Amino acid sequence: MTAAFGSSMPLLEIDNLVTTFHTPGGRVPAVDGVSLSIERGRTLGLVGESGCGKSVTAMSILRLVAAPGVIEAGRIILSPAGGLSRAGGLSRAGGSVDLVTLPESQLQEVRGGRIGMIFQEPMTSLNPVLTIGDQIAEAVLLHRKVSREAARARSLEMLKLVRMADPERRLDEYPHQLSGGMRQRVVIAMALACEPDLIIADEPTTALDVTIQAQILDLLADLRRRLGTAILLITHDLGVVAETCDDVAVMYAGRIVEQATTAELFARPRHPYTIGLLAARPEGGGHGSRAAGRLQTIPGMVPAPQHFPAGCRFHPRCAFARQPDCSAAMPELREVAPGHLVRCLYAESLGPPHCIDDLYQEIA
Amino acid sequence: MSDMSARGFWAEAWARYRRKPLAMAALVFVACLATVAVFAPAIAGTKPVLCRYKGHLYAPCFGYFDRRLEPAIFAKDRFRGTYPRNLQEKDPKSWAIWPLVFQDPHRAVRDNEWPGRPGNPAKDEGRPNAINLCGTDQYGVDVFAKMVHGTTIALLVGVVSMGLAGTIGIIVGALGGYFGGWVDMLTSRLTEIVMCVPTLVLILAVVAIVEKPTIWKTMAIIGMTGWTGIARLTRGEFLRLRQSEFVTAARATGAGPVRIMLRHILPNALAPVLVPITFGIASAILTESALSFLGFGPPPPAASWGSLLNDARSNLSMWWLVVFPGVAIFLTVLAYNLIGEGLQEVTDPRLREARK
Repeated sequence: MTAAFGSSMPLLEIDNLVTTFHTPGGRVPAVDGVSLSIERGRTLGLVGESGCGKSVTAMSILRLVAAPGVIEAGRIILSPAGGLSRAGGLSRAGGSVDLVTLPESQLQEVRGGRIGMIFQEPMTSLNPVLTIGDQIAEAVLLHRKVSREAARARSLEMLKLVRMADPERRLDEYPHQLSGGMRQRVVIAMALACEPDLIIADEPTTALDVTIQAQILDLLADLRRRLGTAILLITHDLGVVAETCDDVAVMYAGRIVEQATTAELFARPRHPYTIGLLAARPEGGGHGSRAAGRLQTIPGMVPAPQHFPAGCRFHPRCAFARQPDCSAAMPELREVAPGHLVRCLYAESLGPPHCIDDLYQEIA
Repeated sequence: MSDMSARGFWAEAWARYRRKPLAMAALVFVACLATVAVFAPAIAGTKPVLCRYKGHLYAPCFGYFDRRLEPAIFAKDRFRGTYPRNLQEKDPKSWAIWPLVFQDPHRAVRDNEWPGRPGNPAKDEGRPNAINLCGTDQYGVDVFAKMVHGTTIALLVGVVSMGLAGTIGIIVGALGGYFGGWVDMLTSRLTEIVMCVPTLVLILAVVAIVEKPTIWKTMAIIGMTGWTGIARLTRGEFLRLRQSEFVTAARATGAGPVRIMLRHILPNALAPVLVPITFGIASAILTESALSFLGFGPPPPAASWGSLLNDARSNLSMWWLVVFPGVAIFLTVLAYNLIGEGLQEVTDPRLREARK
């Protein structure tokens, strides 16, 4: 019953999240009204340039934003452990909780227990003075009432799950003895140790070389299939998104500008920023620019949060911007096709990619 | 990968430390001092280490640690502290194992106390010789025995006071560095206030007020004023490590602040904090010596190296009263400084790289 009810609502729903940094230079809204929902067992890609607020969004979910960052508004609703519920789960598995207002002690149960996190830099996200086994076992011991031996056994099991070579030996080794890819496997093992419902992966492959990247992405996809864990994948790499994600949200300057299923977004991007991002890929999909041997770029830079322009924040860089409409008011995020949300006044008129290619050509 | 990478941080640091001859020598020296401190009654004393008397085994030498540990039977049989002749006279079948050097740190050895050996010379006659290795003071008490028994104090002062200072400093620094904000404000100001207190003057004041000044009170004061440097360093390390990704990762797995401070940050911050603690031991020994030299040392009969120097103040012609304790203090302080420097070199990655 509960499982059926639980599955009808998203696992995690972020509603109008505002996270700002109070710096000596003023109030900096790094995340400015982001709404997202993550369904059970699905992978959502959160894409954007550096500084667009995607990492801050991720950190806000577990309230890990470091001072002077503050979550100023919004709700982050985590629905109860449902369907795949395990015995001895959280005490208040009865209802949804708002992570923004949840008391710290209960939040600690959510961290690592219901939501696991994978960080960008496997070199620095492991404690250098603790052995691999100790670190995974700690994640287990924090959330499960088991003996040290059982936790160690679980650590070994997790290392096997993430396909670590020679897991028995790795258990007693220190992080500096492992390669980057192996460390990232350990971080994934830690995040998965307590079978969370959601994994937040903040650019998990950025620091790794390409072959290892593919292995880690394969691993994540495989684990999601086997464990039914939802994944929030934060990345700036559209290639990664295309390979691994079910849904995509594109962020620009602290806001979601477009959200759709991966297939829909790649086939019919509607926001000029998304169109620009797709055109900027080396494997840009038969765009005219490719013949010239040069990559398409989006002119200009992401504005600093203190200097966000009025109206649509992308309009100064937008090839399709029309004055005065685009600088008059912030466009709403609206549904242009079923499940396809876009924050652009002219989303409908921006057709299939090849038309846009022509437009870019004209401007160039 | 070399075999060095197969060990943890401390094992690796130790492997590097072992290759530093000077630092190793200093460590061995301190280890020897600790041995001397523990076995002081067996090295110099007039009480048998072990003896058989009237059919029972006794170890009167423990009387040097505490009077009450001296077996009561010897007081009852009126030994009055002189064992060799009394043992022979009162129980001809008795036997005893004597300390290496038959000299007492508290009193002069009398004529014929050890069969056939003259008593210790008093006044300025007692220059170093085969019987009094480091000479005797103006009362005829053997300087070597005094120094051997003073080792305990010298080492205790350093270790106890810095143990206290380290505990306070790490706690204060950790709180300030980890929590920041008003906690940091409070602990930093407290540190600065304590830093302004001149240790020596405070001790002199306390010693003047307190009825029974003991060496423990001195250690407590050195400890309670000497933690500021440690606190500042710990704070800095915690500030730095608090921002590190593995701490965020630990928080993301659900670890609470206490666990993060103790298990994740402290072990990483400990190496640099150990260095000022080691240097602090050296300076605590110096402070104690200075106090004793000024006449505020441990009350007699306990004698520290510094109080030996104090004796020398009024007897400058007796050079051995200056040289031997002075050298002992110098070498001990030097050893601790060398150990501190060695620790710094093997644990600080920047220095480590520079030396390669």
